[in-house]
Amino acid sequence: MSSRRQVRGSRSRGPVATLLTWNRRLQLTGISLTLPALIFAFAFMVYPVANVVFLSFHQYSPLRSANTTDAGLSNYSWLASSDIVGHSIWITIVFTAVSVAIEMAVGLALATLLAKLVVESRHLFGRVLSRILLSSFILPFATPAIAGAIAWKMLLHPQFGPVDALLRTDIAWFSQFPLASVIVADAWKTMPFVLFLVFAAILSIEPDQYEAARIDGANGWQEFRYLTLPSITPVLAVVAAFRAVDAFTKIFDVVFVTTGGGPGNDTQVFPLLIWRTAFDFLNFGQASALAVVAVLVSAALGASLLAVRRLSPA
Amino acid sequence: MIAFGATERLSRALRAGALIVAAVATVIPVLWMMVGSLKTETQLFSNPLALPDSPAWANYGSLFQQFHFGLATLNSVEISLGVVAISVVLGSMAAYGFSRYPFTGSRMLLSGLLITRMVTPAALVVPLYLIMNALGLLNNVLSIILGVAVLNLPLVVWVLRPFFDGLPREIEEAGLLDGLSPFGVFWRIAVPLAAPGLLTVSLLSFIAGWTDLLFPISFSSTPEAAPLTSQLLQMQTGYKIYWGSLMAGSIYVTLPTLVVSFALQKYLVRGMRLGY
Repeated sequence: MSSRRQVRGSRSRGPVATLLTWNRRLQLTGISLTLPALIFAFAFMVYPVANVVFLSFHQYSPLRSANTTDAGLSNYSWLASSDIVGHSIWITIVFTAVSVAIEMAVGLALATLLAKLVVESRHLFGRVLSRILLSSFILPFATPAIAGAIAWKMLLHPQFGPVDALLRTDIAWFSQFPLASVIVADAWKTMPFVLFLVFAAILSIEPDQYEAARIDGANGWQEFRYLTLPSITPVLAVVAAFRAVDAFTKIFDVVFVTTGGGPGNDTQVFPLLIWRTAFDFLNFGQASALAVVAVLVSAALGASLLAVRRLSPA
Repeated sequence: MIAFGATERLSRALRAGALIVAAVATVIPVLWMMVGSLKTETQLFSNPLALPDSPAWANYGSLFQQFHFGLATLNSVEISLGVVAISVVLGSMAAYGFSRYPFTGSRMLLSGLLITRMVTPAALVVPLYLIMNALGLLNNVLSIILGVAVLNLPLVVWVLRPFFDGLPREIEEAGLLDGLSPFGVFWRIAVPLAAPGLLTVSLLSFIAGWTDLLFPISFSSTPEAAPLTSQLLQMQTGYKIYWGSLMAGSIYVTLPTLVVSFALQKYLVRGMRLGY
């Protein structure tokens, strides 16, 4: 790269000209390798996003007419004035904050215990046990979100759900505590992600350091507080940021299947609101305005996430 | 010394106990659904905590008789394999290009590609619907494949690029000196060396295709192109929920990803670690 200026200055000379073509060949190779993916992403990601900006200033209802009509800023003024939109964003923020907090707390606790078990188990029993535990914890990750959601709907069912049967109650959890129930179902599904990443981070701490802590007389809690936790803080930050972005932008299946956004609009999270506006109410103009907001939020979150990731050595 | 050993033992047992309780709680939702799927509707409602007297396989039969699970399975397989093919072919080429042949602006393109990971799928599906409609691809598995693949592609590049970064350059340079073209080196040397990475992204892509719900419910309104996930929704209508079939169907959808994930656990965990 640094040789480019020299190259430009003396194009006529033989070896440098070869260097130029060589450099250009390398660039061309890079471009042709990445081009198919870039074209694909352009056609089905960049172009649609540009299109959604256009649509957000128009009216389009596929059932009524195949034409788009100019709508000016009306979709945006609807968005700004609608209670449903503000409420939906607020619900999504609450959902994200609580769900990620639970995942992080449970994931961190289990990962710490699991790492300890793995490090300490020199016997066959310990190793087999940790294998079984790891496999159990991966199960929610491998379960399709829709199947997990159906499982929770069944568990929390007021008539035949085991939770109510054990508590001897008949609480309809998904209608009486809709957001909390959705959060539990989602945290169950996504906790393994946190657990496995934190687990790997803990295992990568030098064993010597634990040895030193032991010799200094640190108890289990002190060991965790003053050695484990500081060592994995960067990983925790990145994982939490990642989970927060994913929770905010991708929460859909669990809500769609369990509460459908209800009762009322109590669990109408933002992605679901966009989808319903387009595919239930067939108002693609308003849905596009919502989608533009979502894309802007995603871009901001994505950029800050890349920044966080660059800052941390993980 | 003995007292210390005893407390140490006790705390170890407590920690193991806590982990076992947590693990049981983690698997119970799916396990209990498996039990439930073998009960008849009467058994289900009469005694929630009882085990089935004899397994009622009828729930599984109903999937194929009532809910088109034969066709849906085929569609799910097509969608998953399609997503794997597109993601892995395009993603591995791009990851290799970004890793080995950086060009002017490639860093920016890479960052741009990675930021698309944060796009809200439900926002993308709105304009994509119109595009698929214009292309005549609605009610066709291809529209679902394209939608899932474009959201999955950034993850694949993200996971694979460090993989190619970590391969020894010397072997590839030797290949170039031996007269292989850069594409030849990629195909004959880099791809085989990166096989574990490719297996990881194939697994992640397969799961993405198999479990996706958003694109089928948006792009397919008939059973023709509907995969298993969206067929499950046919069992909960506003008027009646077919709980037996719903649980059986959920287990049916879950089993393949579960089996593959357990078998390739190492690769899946690696995918999680590299994917963030």
